[in-house]
Amino acid sequence: MRIALTIVVIGLLTACSVEKAPLVATDIAIAKPLPGMQMTAAYLTLTNNTTQAIRITHVVSPNFESVEIHESVLEDGMARMYSLEDVTILAGASIRFEPGAKHLMLLRPTGAIDSVVLEFHASEAVVLTVSVALGD
Amino acid sequence: MTPRNLFIAVVAIVAITTGTWLSYQLMSPPPVTQTATTLPAPAELPEFALLDHDGQAIGREVFEGHWNLVFFGFTHCPDVCPLTMRVLADAKSQLAAIGQDPLPRIVLVSVDPERDTPMILSQYVGYFGDGNLGITGELEEVRKLTNGLGIFFDKASINGDDYSVDHSAVVLVVNPGGQFHALFGAPHEAANFVHDLPILMADH
Repeated sequence: MRIALTIVVIGLLTACSVEKAPLVATDIAIAKPLPGMQMTAAYLTLTNNTTQAIRITHVVSPNFESVEIHESVLEDGMARMYSLEDVTILAGASIRFEPGAKHLMLLRPTGAIDSVVLEFHASEAVVLTVSVALGD
Repeated sequence: MTPRNLFIAVVAIVAITTGTWLSYQLMSPPPVTQTATTLPAPAELPEFALLDHDGQAIGREVFEGHWNLVFFGFTHCPDVCPLTMRVLADAKSQLAAIGQDPLPRIVLVSVDPERDTPMILSQYVGYFGDGNLGITGELEEVRKLTNGLGIFFDKASINGDDYSVDHSAVVLVVNPGGQFHALFGAPHEAANFVHDLPILMADH
């Protein structure tokens, strides 16, 4: 079932664009966890090159026990952080994960890390895998 | 032109130039802050009994003798808090580069004392530069400080056992007399501190 779903989603996405990858990540920045900390944030831009919206339902990484989609907001002078169940990238559009806004929170490293692999899932299908070296 | 007339002309030009420069200096308004809100009168800090990042007992006197940039945050905050601490560290570096003396001290007061032990705070504030101060302790004592300054914070559930802390995003300026002097509203940019802090310090 899972494999079938993956094939269907990838097939759909591929059919929508013959030249560009369906979903592309750029401007990826992940800092090493601060001293003593068990988490860090990931920032990037996701671009949907297809003609259909892509809904990212969850992100996983072999380098962290948990990856959560969060959004920081400033409301009435208060800094708040919300957990998002998903993010949707509209057809032909981009969405930015950036400081002080949407970001990925990477929790509890599974070991020593110099680089991070992130898998972006649309339901059960992996729609994008990226690998990035950690910055300072 | 005779030597006498030449002399008179030179004297006249020097007098006009000097007069113009002097009037410009006297008429120019003094520099004013662009972002910071200065209190009409500096306010005394509430009394509290907390710990610094070395685990030493401290009270409000800890702020005295420094210009302090005080931020209320927590170390398990992955986004806004390190972002703000970086902005403050950048501002301090830029102030040092332009010869500002004294330089402000960056102070992080933890709004998550449950997780922020002195040891954790020590590593955290040290990462953002030398001379920074971390403050933590009993929650009730943190509340004494924050309530007296109009700072709000509240624990917020995120996912299962994980929690975040919603908190005021302002940066307070506490003067060397240990008084609440001014504040910077969020979002923060290093340039705002670099512009306004020397003016606040000079006016004090």
